Amino acid sequence: MPQSPLHTFRRVYVWEIPVRFFHWINALCIFVLAATGMIIAHPPAFVQASEASFSYWFGEVRFIHFVTAYVFVFNFAVRIYWGFVGNRYADWKNFLPLRRAQFREVAAVMRVDVLQERGTPVHAVGHNAVAYFTYFAMFLVFLFQVASGFAMYSAMSTSWFPNLFAWITPLFGDEYALRQWHYAATWFFLIFTVVHVYLVFYHDYVEGHGVMSSMVGGWKFLDSRVDETGRPADGKSWFGATRHTPPPDHPS
Amino acid sequence: MSTRIVVDPVTRIEGHLRIEAEVKDGRIVDAWSAGTMVRGIEIILKGRDPRDAWAFAERVCGVCTTVHALASVRSVEDALGTVIPPNAELIRNLMFCAQYMQDHVVHFYHLHALDWVDVVSALKADPAEASRIAQSLSDWPKSSPGYFSDLQKRLTTFVESGQLGIFANAYWGHPAYKLPPAVNLIGVAHYLEALEWQKEMVKVHTIFGGKNPHPNYLVGGVPCAINIDEANALNAERLAFVGRLFEQGRRFVEQVYIPDLLAVAPYYLDWTEVGGGVKNYMAYGDLPTNGFADVARFKFPRGVVLDRDLSKVHPVDPHDPDGIREEVSHSWYSYRGGDGKGLHPWDGETEFNYTGPKPPYEHLTVDGKYSWLKTPRWKGHAMEVGPLARLLVGYASGNGEIKEAVTETLAALKAPPSVLFSTLGRTAARGIETRLVARWATEFYDQLIANIRNGDTRTFTRTSWEPSSWPSTARGVGATEAPRGALAHWLVIKDRRIENYQLVVPSTWNASPRDASGQRSPYEASLIGTPVHDPKQPLEILRTIHSFDPCLACAVH
Amino acid sequence: MNALPSPTQTGGSTLWEEMRARGVSRRDFLSFCAWMGALMGLESSGAAQIAKALETKRRLPIVWLHFQECTCCSESFIRSSHPIVADILLDRVSLDYTETLQAAAGFQAEECMQRTMKESYGKYLLMVEGSVPLGTDGAYCCIGGRSAHEILKEAAAGAMAVVAWGNCASAGCVQAARPNPTEATPIHKLVAGKPVINVQGCPPIAEVMAGVVVHLLAFDRIPQLDSLGRPKAFYSRRVHDTCYRRPNYDAGLFVESFDDDNARKGYCLYKMGCKGPTTYNSCGVIRWNNGVSYPIQSGHGCLGCSEAGFWDAGSFYNRLASFPGFGIEMTADKIGLAVGAAAVAGVAVHAVMTNIRKHGDIGEHPGEAPDDVDPTNTPKP
Ligand code: HEM
Ligand code: HEM
Ligand code: NFV
Ligand code: SF4
Ligand code: SF4
Ligand code: F3S
Ligand SMILES: [Mg+2]
Repeated sequence: MPQSPLHTFRRVYVWEIPVRFFHWINALCIFVLAATGMIIAHPPAFVQASEASFSYWFGEVRFIHFVTAYVFVFNFAVRIYWGFVGNRYADWKNFLPLRRAQFREVAAVMRVDVLQERGTPVHAVGHNAVAYFTYFAMFLVFLFQVASGFAMYSAMSTSWFPNLFAWITPLFGDEYALRQWHYAATWFFLIFTVVHVYLVFYHDYVEGHGVMSSMVGGWKFLDSRVDETGRPADGKSWFGATRHTPPPDHPS
Repeated sequence: MSTRIVVDPVTRIEGHLRIEAEVKDGRIVDAWSAGTMVRGIEIILKGRDPRDAWAFAERVCGVCTTVHALASVRSVEDALGTVIPPNAELIRNLMFCAQYMQDHVVHFYHLHALDWVDVVSALKADPAEASRIAQSLSDWPKSSPGYFSDLQKRLTTFVESGQLGIFANAYWGHPAYKLPPAVNLIGVAHYLEALEWQKEMVKVHTIFGGKNPHPNYLVGGVPCAINIDEANALNAERLAFVGRLFEQGRRFVEQVYIPDLLAVAPYYLDWTEVGGGVKNYMAYGDLPTNGFADVARFKFPRGVVLDRDLSKVHPVDPHDPDGIREEVSHSWYSYRGGDGKGLHPWDGETEFNYTGPKPPYEHLTVDGKYSWLKTPRWKGHAMEVGPLARLLVGYASGNGEIKEAVTETLAALKAPPSVLFSTLGRTAARGIETRLVARWATEFYDQLIANIRNGDTRTFTRTSWEPSSWPSTARGVGATEAPRGALAHWLVIKDRRIENYQLVVPSTWNASPRDASGQRSPYEASLIGTPVHDPKQPLEILRTIHSFDPCLACAVH
Repeated sequence: MNALPSPTQTGGSTLWEEMRARGVSRRDFLSFCAWMGALMGLESSGAAQIAKALETKRRLPIVWLHFQECTCCSESFIRSSHPIVADILLDRVSLDYTETLQAAAGFQAEECMQRTMKESYGKYLLMVEGSVPLGTDGAYCCIGGRSAHEILKEAAAGAMAVVAWGNCASAGCVQAARPNPTEATPIHKLVAGKPVINVQGCPPIAEVMAGVVVHLLAFDRIPQLDSLGRPKAFYSRRVHDTCYRRPNYDAGLFVESFDDDNARKGYCLYKMGCKGPTTYNSCGVIRWNNGVSYPIQSGHGCLGCSEAGFWDAGSFYNRLASFPGFGIEMTADKIGLAVGAAAVAGVAVHAVMTNIRKHGDIGEHPGEAPDDVDPTNTPKP
């Protein structure tokens, strides 16, 4: 039931600068942390004519890991802060799986993305519900990685920040067990990244809303018949409410 | 009328041993030996990486520490066909020798001596007399009258304080103590000196294995790399240190331990008539000089002596499914195929089945199961293992060095070889072999230095290290002579994991409960006929039991 | 709660008086105190404090129990390198009960323990070597016909503090390794209302054991403990941070195989499975047997023997190994690679499907809407 072969798009400013910065710094940190972490776990055998006093490369790898860890933490802190003061798309409430509407959207996304049903697109202006939830899970793993990392680091550091985390080690038994989990979480990031990057390309390709570039420029391109909350601009709601009386559980 | 005596805990041993004995007319007429603690290490080892097994097995015992690690790595090497480099073998031999020297000296002075030496009587000694006797025995420098009188003063203050600590409530003044006060004083002096000395001897383990107790071993060799020019490896300084330790060790053995043994023995010759035990002796042999496959060139020969017949040595093979078997008819275990039949350790099972009284208890039900030890038998015979068995097997095999050492000692005591089959014989055998081992250590040490000088520094064979190179199933035996006797671990590997792991330990042979046919094992057999002067003071029981140097953590594991 | 009741004591003399009676010179005595102080990481005033305490304090009765153990903790204890330790600790600090060394046996031995528990109620130290099996009513470890658990409860009741020697008493050690067939249980789980000091290690280093005893004697209170009950003075540093091979680690110089060239140069044992990076103990500082060596110095990686559960932490030759709940074969890498491969495969399949199923949805020209989609169409609830 095609309506009109040609219609217009509207630009919506979705990702503010702090979110974009957060994203790319975060992606870079994770890349560095995973790479240095994997080297720490499986150091390559470099052939070198060597006295320990001439070289420090392994120490440097660890140093980079720890410095990056700090950047990672404070970058993450910025994002959490922005969850409270940023625009509606960045709002922390989107990430928590608390409302029925969100779960309905999850089902819809699954139908479209996984079962590949046609003709029922999901209009999410920020992330869609599945993406929000995944990022939320991801944030929890961030927290774990930070906690476990700094707990381990507290053993080699006298500064106050890592030592805030020292109490975490016994919760996992001993440092050996904690290290195992820290290591396992690395695999989570690697796998997440594969799927995440794919899905971003996929959405861009299929929907043509400029999802990809939105993390760079901030703007998404939406069908002009859709407003900035993702509802029909003509006032009819897909969820049965009108745009002027948004459902109480919808962030706005 | 007979009386039932219970000695529990038997002290000055390793572990938890309980002896129940029936005394009639001042002599023991029947006895039961029970191990009352179990950990289940054979169960715990299942499913693990065979290369890790040595560390678990080593924790079976911290007194004979290292021997289980040695048996364990040998069992894996046997299963995988690994041949270790000559240096690794020499280093293992050196650790073996250091263990014997330390363990036997600690046994003699700290675990056994108080059965023969009356500490309180030493207070009455004349220090000058003690000095005279000590100087007549050896050149050991600490033997002046002043030395002994200082010691006696310290001892007096100690006893007068009223708090005797580890010497409290013992059997001082018991009529079975026969030594003159001066010899008692020498005994006390050497008790303290040996305590100082033993911690030096074990430094050999620290150098090669990083610590003692529980030094590190490695499947395929030894973990310490040799590099004479490198501060961080087994270098010239470390090797010289080892040489010095053996020199000092040997001096103590030759100038203190052996002279004390020879000084004490003549007062207790009646103890050559009791404590004989089962009359069969077994040794797996050890201290290879040409690889572990060349049994003929072991320093301690392998074999079995049956019924005290020293004219014949029977071959023993731990791989033989009809040779060694373990029974559980009187042990708190059950076998799937029924408790009546013994199992070769490759098919061995460890399944707890406690049927004893619920603690607290007064007596064990000795007609049924009554111990955590299994009962090993060789072709159905009960076997004594340990220093005496090693010497008798060596003697009967016609081994020159061993024969000479035994003959020399017997000549010093003016006694025939038959005196060896006894409580005192066991104690003397331990001394005789310590002296041999102290000498052999020097040979191994010189050999190691010569190898290194010739440019051979290999200590590890990598060929079978990677599990991917292993067959899907394999079986091995690791045999050794632990200080307390013949020790072996049987191992079955399946899909790179331990499928079955069974230890048959020297103290298991000696301290086990009787078998299905009622045959007693050495502890029980040797107690029969032992005199007991006062059932409330079981000194004589301690003498015979201690002569075996019990280790119950080992025996049960 | 750290303060212990002062052992006012049954007459007798002070430790220093006794040492003097045993022929120890003032100079040796002070040097001993300084050595102890240094060992415990005290300031130099600490040594003076120890000396003062030993000069004035009465000696302490000790009951040393043996349960599920291999006795290597006792063996380690008698390796204490300072002669005075052997002198005063062994037979002068009133070791009233210790099966390994005491002369009396059977009920005479038990009498010694009963007497101390009665006469010095509330004033003796309880030292425990070995774990307590709770299975089968305690029949897995009985002494004098009584279960280890009963004996422990009785002996702990009147003790001023409990010292748990070694990994057995602190964490159950090897007998508590999977599947822990006897329900071997560490002491701190069974003793309530008393300070329990976990002197970890399999066995603990002799000097550490001596240091803990001297601390208790000298200061009348238990040493500062870490979150696992281990004395901080000895267990606050990782073996890795005090390891003399550490420069090799930082330089990325690793032993790749036992007895390779790198091993002969004494490189770091990290890739041989060394657990030094996750193990808290004094091996790198105090070393073993009077400072002669320690595991790493002799070429083998640290097993992690002062950590609870080190037996079940995977192979000693892999740094990171088995993962809880996935069976011994599974390492995080294997699991990760499997899931990762599945993810990549899933993504690939999905991409192909997308091109087939959604071909029509994908707009070909800019500004062109997908041909058959009404964006205002309501998704089915
Ligand atoms: C996404 C984030 C991170 C990833 C993917 C990551 C990954 C890793 C990996 C794979 C290891 C090696 C583990 C081993 O084999 O022992 C490691 C070690 C470590 N990481 Fe991280 N890590 C992350 C974040 C952090 C953070 C935030 C900290 C905080 C300080 C941290 C601190 C450490 C420490 C202390 C070690 C042990 C290094 C050593 O002792 O040599 N990590 N990390
Ligand atoms: C080439 C690599 C990457 C690209 C092109 C990319 C692209 C994007 C895009 C377009 C979004 C917005 C998606 C939407 O609107 O639903 C996004 C969000 C996000 N991405 Fe990535 N990403 C990359 C790598 C990563 C990596 C490595 C991570 C972390 C492991 C990551 C974590 C996130 C997170 C947490 C969000 C949500 C951001 C927020 O709401 O604050 N991204 N990414
Ligand atoms: N029995 C025994 Fe051991 C020895 N020697 C080992 O095999 O003592 Ni603990
Ligand atoms: S902790 Fe280790 S060394 Fe100590 S008794 Fe237990 S097994 Fe032996
Ligand atoms: S040998 Fe072990 S403890 Fe020493 S630096 Fe290497 S990893 Fe750390
Ligand atoms: S194995 Fe134990 S002895 Fe020290 S070096 Fe490691 S903590
Ligand atoms: Mg067995």
